Amino acid sequence: MEGHQRNLYLYDRFNARVVGVSRDDVITLKYFAKDLGLTFPLLSNPTGFLGVTFDTLVEGKPVFRRRTVIIDKTGIIRYSRDGSPDFKDILLFLKKLNQEGGKK
Amino acid sequence: MMRKSLTILCILLIGAWLSGCATMEPPKEKPYKVMPGGMVVWEDEMEFKIPPPEWKLLRVEMGENDINFGFMRSDPGGFPSVTTFAYDEEPFGCSAASFEGREREFFKRFLFNAILQFQILERKKVQVVGGEGLQVDVEGKDPIKGEKVRARVVFGKRGERIIGFYITQWRPMAGTYDLSAFDVFDKFVSSFKYLKKSFYETL
Repeated sequence: MEGHQRNLYLYDRFNARVVGVSRDDVITLKYFAKDLGLTFPLLSNPTGFLGVTFDTLVEGKPVFRRRTVIIDKTGIIRYSRDGSPDFKDILLFLKKLNQEGGKK
Repeated sequence: MMRKSLTILCILLIGAWLSGCATMEPPKEKPYKVMPGGMVVWEDEMEFKIPPPEWKLLRVEMGENDINFGFMRSDPGGFPSVTTFAYDEEPFGCSAASFEGREREFFKRFLFNAILQFQILERKKVQVVGGEGLQVDVEGKDPIKGEKVRARVVFGKRGERIIGFYITQWRPMAGTYDLSAFDVFDKFVSSFKYLKKSFYETL
């Protein structure tokens, strides 16, 4: 999450916005964001339906599997990777996506 | 018949030997080159003065592609007498607007596994990697384990992002610090130069 916060100025440059999604409740996320100094939105989804959409539900556990998803402006998922975010890969992908958007 | 079997066995053995060679990992390339004059070029990206030979290279990778490495030295005295210093491309925290903001975030998590009570000994502005930086000296004590640590953290800037250097020297509570290690660290920091723009600056 800190990595995304450090990269906000670059996401902005590539016309991208970041949101975090968690199964934690709103109050927990507020404290989490405050502690880490996060300024981007964190979405609380305790029922876990977004885990069905993004295939990140972990059977028998109230958490999402870690996954980074990039959705383009038409709503199509263009990038999906499991595990810790690869920030350089993400930034290069966003740069490419932004250039594609600029050409259209 | 015997000769034929031996020939087949030899071919099989050579085959097995060659296939073994094929699966051997290629030797890993060193990430640095030692240049004349005691300077080291690290991954063609940065250069710095190499510390004396008793300092062993300590490569730390955090899994988020950040450049992150350091050196370690075992010190005389009882556990945990050891000194480590490192360069960190992405020190804890995310503020880039001010060193003071990053310092606050950094010390929330610095050595957080050790649960130390930190005391700031000195805070001063310094010149680092060709620009202004902030140096903070701290001492942390763990009265339960009977251990203490003296640390110096230097924040600098690479492009728009804050980078960090830090040294930690652990001692038993009754032990004495060896401040000459901090001189080695200071030489490492003051000699540190970037040879090209960072990934983030090229985007």
